[in-house]
Amino acid sequence: MNTTEIPLKDPAVSAAAGDTEQLERAYIDASTRVPVLMFYTSAIVWLIVGTVLAMVVSFKLHSPDLLSGISFLTWGRLRPAHMNVMVYGWASMAGMGTAVWLMARLCRVTLRFPLLLATGAAFWNVGVLIGVGAILLGDSTGFQWLEFPRYVAVILFVAYTLMASWAVLMFRHRRGDQIYITQWYLLGAFLWFPWLYAAGQLMLFVVPVQGVLQSAVTWWYANNLLFLWFGAIALGTAYYMIPKVIGRPVYSYHLATIGFWTYALFSSWTGMTRLVDGPFPAWMITASIAATILTMIPVATVGLNHHLTMKGYFPLMRYSPTLRFTVFGAMSYTVFSVLGVLISFRSIASYVDFTQVSIAYTHLGLYAFFTMTIFGSMYYIVPRLVGREWRYGSLIKLHFWASAYGIGLMTLMLLAGGFLQGTNLENPTLPFSESIETVLPYLRGRSLAGILLTVSHFIFAYHFGLMLLGLGRTSTVPTFLNPVEAETSGGH
Amino acid sequence: MDYGEQADVQQVHAAVQREKREPRVGAEPLSIWLIAVYGLAIFFGGAYLGRYSGNFITGGLDPMGSPPAPKKAVAGGPGGGEQAELSPRDRGKKIYAANCQTCHQANGLGVAGQYPPLAASEFTNGGSRRMGMIVLKGLQGPVTVKGQQYGTAVMQPWDKTLTDQKIADVMTYERSEWGNNASPVTAEQISALRKELANHPESFVEHDILAAPDEDIPGGAPAGGAPPKPGEAAKPAAPPKP
Amino acid sequence: MKGLAPLFLGIFGTFAFSWIGLTVIPTWQIGHLNPESDEEGTDIYPRPQSGMFTRGEHVYAANGCVYCHSQQVRADYIADDIERKWGNRRSAPRDYIFERPVFLGKMRMGQDLANIGARAPAPEESPAPAAQGAPISSPPPSQAASPSPGTSPASAASPNASPPPGQRTGAASPSPGQMANTTPGGSSPAAPSAQTPGAQWPIQTAGLPPMYSAAWHHVHLYAPRSINPDSNMPAYRFLYEKRRIAGERSAEALQLASSDAPPEGWEVVPTYDAKCVVAYLMGLNQSHPLKEVRSVGGAPAPAAPAPAAQGASPAPPVGGSPAAAKK
Repeated sequence: MNTTEIPLKDPAVSAAAGDTEQLERAYIDASTRVPVLMFYTSAIVWLIVGTVLAMVVSFKLHSPDLLSGISFLTWGRLRPAHMNVMVYGWASMAGMGTAVWLMARLCRVTLRFPLLLATGAAFWNVGVLIGVGAILLGDSTGFQWLEFPRYVAVILFVAYTLMASWAVLMFRHRRGDQIYITQWYLLGAFLWFPWLYAAGQLMLFVVPVQGVLQSAVTWWYANNLLFLWFGAIALGTAYYMIPKVIGRPVYSYHLATIGFWTYALFSSWTGMTRLVDGPFPAWMITASIAATILTMIPVATVGLNHHLTMKGYFPLMRYSPTLRFTVFGAMSYTVFSVLGVLISFRSIASYVDFTQVSIAYTHLGLYAFFTMTIFGSMYYIVPRLVGREWRYGSLIKLHFWASAYGIGLMTLMLLAGGFLQGTNLENPTLPFSESIETVLPYLRGRSLAGILLTVSHFIFAYHFGLMLLGLGRTSTVPTFLNPVEAETSGGH
Repeated sequence: MDYGEQADVQQVHAAVQREKREPRVGAEPLSIWLIAVYGLAIFFGGAYLGRYSGNFITGGLDPMGSPPAPKKAVAGGPGGGEQAELSPRDRGKKIYAANCQTCHQANGLGVAGQYPPLAASEFTNGGSRRMGMIVLKGLQGPVTVKGQQYGTAVMQPWDKTLTDQKIADVMTYERSEWGNNASPVTAEQISALRKELANHPESFVEHDILAAPDEDIPGGAPAGGAPPKPGEAAKPAAPPKP
Repeated sequence: MKGLAPLFLGIFGTFAFSWIGLTVIPTWQIGHLNPESDEEGTDIYPRPQSGMFTRGEHVYAANGCVYCHSQQVRADYIADDIERKWGNRRSAPRDYIFERPVFLGKMRMGQDLANIGARAPAPEESPAPAAQGAPISSPPPSQAASPSPGTSPASAASPNASPPPGQRTGAASPSPGQMANTTPGGSSPAAPSAQTPGAQWPIQTAGLPPMYSAAWHHVHLYAPRSINPDSNMPAYRFLYEKRRIAGERSAEALQLASSDAPPEGWEVVPTYDAKCVVAYLMGLNQSHPLKEVRSVGGAPAPAAPAPAAQGASPAPPVGGSPAAAKK
C-alpha cells in the first residue's frame, strides 16, 4: 500500500472543528498526565521486579539447588510472589493507567482531582509491596491468585476506591450521546474488578465456604479476573487503538454489541475448566466447559470485527508500534481462547491436567494477549503525556521481537513439554519421576524464552525511563518502526 | 521532568495535532456465516451441557449420572462390574488384605516369633469357635502354633472394627486358602459367638482358647468343607454394613 | 448503546449470573456437608483435625507446596491416578469439608498427596488393646509419627508387607533391618512411642527410612535429592536446625545420607514447623470409603493400614458393598 494513501485527517472534518477537538484532547491529556504516568511508572517497576522473580522461578524449577535452602527464596514462595507482582503490580496498574486515559478521552472530560488517583496509585503500590513481602516471609494465604494476606486486601480496596470511582464518575459526566465500544468494556472492567475481589475475599476469608468450594471460588475468581478485568481492558484498548491509528471506523456496531455481551456472559462461567475431573458435582465442570465452547462466539465476533476493520491496512503494522503490539495482542486473544477450549474437554484434560500446559494457557492470556496490547497502548499514550516522541525506533523493534519470540517460545515449550508430561502421567506403567524427566528439557527451553522476555522488559523500562526524563525526541513525526520509508506519511 | 509545553496548552503538541479523529463505529450487518458459527457453538455447548451434567443432581460427581463400569478388572476382584456378586471368599480376601496381611502376611506364614501362621495352622483348620474367639476378642501372650512358639506381638480384637459378615468372610477365606480346607463361616455364627462372648472384656490368652471346645460354632454352615464357588453366595447374609 | 442504565444492568447481571451459578448454587448443593458415620456412630469420616495438623496446613500454604503437589484423586474411568496407587477411590467433596485452605492443586511436578498418609508404612507391632479404643476413622492429629517398622527385618523382607510398591521416584528402596529408629516429628503421646521400646537415636546408615514414614518425610524435605537424584523439589533446609549434639543424640535427629549428613558431632533436627507439616502429611488419608463414591482396587494403600495406627476403616468393603456402588 502506498504510504501517501494514509489520510492525515478525515476530510469531512473542517479545520475549525478539528482545532477545537485537538485542544480538547490536549487539555484532557494534560489532566491525566500525573496519574497515568504514575500508574505506568509503578507498573514498569513491578514489571521488572516480576520479571526478575520469574527468571529465578524458572531456573529453580530445573536447577533446584540454585539458591536453595533460604526461606524467602524458596520456590514455593517465589512463584506466588512472581504471580502476584505481575497480576496486581504490573498488569493491574498498567491496565488502570491505560483505562483512565481512554476513559478521559472517550468521555471527553478532563480528569479532575488527578492527585486523588495518584494517591490511590501510591496506596496500591504500598499494598502490593506489603503483600509480596508477606508472601516471601511466609504469610501467604495458600489460595492461588489471592495469596495476599487479608490486611493487604484492605489496602488494595481503599486504593482501588480512590482510583476507580473517578473513572466511573467521568463516565457519568461524559459528553456526547453515543457510548463507544471501549467505554462499555472499561466500565465493565472497573465495576467487575471490585465485585470480583470482594466476592473472593468474602467467600474465602470473611464467610468461608466449605471444602472444595474454596477451590471453586478461587478459580472462578482467577478466570474472571483474567477475562472480566484484564481481558475487558485489553479488548477495550484494542477497540480504541486499532481504528484510531488507521483512521477507519470499526467495522460493525452489531458485531461489537454481540461480542461484548456474549463475552461478559460466557467468559465469566469458565472458571471450573481449571478443575476438570476434580471432586465437584459434574454439572459445575460441564457448565464451565460448555461456557468455554460458547466463548467461541465472542472470539469469532471480536476477531472478525477487528479483522474487517483492519482489512487493507495490515501493512501499517510495519510502521506503527501501537498497531503492531495491539494486533499481536488481539490475535493472541483468539489463540488463547481456542487453546482454552481444547484443554477443557474432559478427554483432553485428562492428559493436560496437572501439567505445564495450564501455565502456558495463563501466560498466553496474561502476556500474549493482555500485556502486548497494553504495551501497544503505552507506546501510543506516553508521547502524549510527556510531549516527546519515543527516542529509538530500534529499541521499540527490539522490544517487540524479543517479546514476541519470547512468549512464542515459552508457549511452545510449555505446551509441548506439558503434553508429554501428561502423557507420561497417564501411563501408570511409568514411574512418576518419568514425567518430570520428560518435561525438564522443556523447562530449560522456557528459561531461555524467559531470558528473551527479560531483555525485552529491561529495554522497555530503559526506553520509558528516557521518556520520563524528557529525553525523548522532539519531533512532529512519531517514532515509526521502519522510519525511512514512512517519513512522509502522516497520522499516528 | 520536562513535559514540554506544560505551561501553555494552547500550543497543542504535535502528537495530538496529527492524530486522527476519535474512533467511531460502522454499521455493517451481520454475516450469515457468523450466525451459522453462533448456531454451531450454541448447539455443541448446549449438547455438552445436557449430556455430561450428571443429571444436575446434587453432589453427582460423575458426568454421565453414574460411574461407568470399571474399564479394567478390579485388582483382586474376579470380574469388576457389579460388586455385590462377589463370593464370601473373595470378600474375605479383600478384608484380609486390608486388615490381617500386615501381620500374618499375604502367604499366611506369619513372622517367626511374632505372628503365628494361618496356613496349615491347627486353629485355622480346626473348629471355627476357637478361631472366632481369637478374631473377635484378640489374643495376647505366648501361643504355640504348629509346634512353634509366638508371643512377642499382640493381636487386637476385631469385634468393634469388623462386622459379623466381614469376620465371617475373612475367616472363610483363611480357612480355604493356602491349602487349608476347613468349613466356611457364616455371619449368623459369628453373631451368636459375639453374643456368647459379650461379657468377656479382654482379649484371650492361649489357655482360654484351648479351654474352649474345638468345634464349629453351631448354626447354619453348609455341609462339607468345600468353600463355596466364586459367584455363589454362601448364604444370603445381611448386606455388609459399610 | 445509549444510557448508563442498561449498560450497568447488563454488567451487573452477567456478573451476578456467574457468581450465583458457580459459587452460590454449589454452596447450596455441597456447601454444608456433614461427615459420614456408620450406624453405631463410631466410625466418623472425615474428622476435623487440630493441633499440629492445622499448623501444618499453614506451613504447607506458606511454602507454596500446592504449586507442585495436587491433592485430588481422579476417577478410575477418567485417569490413572488409582492405578498409580494414589488412592483407592476418587476424591469426593466430603473428603475436604474440614480442610482450610483446600489444596486441590493444579500441578503435579511432585506426586499427588491426597493419600500420602495412607501410604505410610504400618508400625510393626500392634499396640496393646487398651490403646485401641474406639475405631479410629482417620488418624488423630497428633499421630505424626508412624513409627517405622523398627525391629523386624523379616517383615520388611516379605514383599507384601513392605511399604508401598513402585519406587515411583526410582528412589532407594528402604533396606530392611536398618532402622531401629524412632521417627522424628509429631511427638505422639501414648501408643506409638510405647511401641518402640529401647529405640534410641536413628542409625545413620547409608539407607533411608522406610518410604513415606515420618522420618522419610523429614529427609525428603531436608534433602530431596538424597532420596531421588532427579527430583526438582526445593530443599527446605530452613525448616531444620543444625546443632551440636548435646550429650546424647536427639531422638528426632534426621538420618541423612552421608553426603547431606552434618559433620561429626552435629545433628539436624526438625523445627516445630517441620514437625507440623509432617504431621499434616501423615494425616492426609482419603482411603476411608464413602457411600457416594465407588471404591476401586485392592487395599486402600499398598501398605495396608496397620491394625492399630491407621484405622482407615474396618475393612473397606472394596467392591463388596452394594451401598458403595450406589452412585
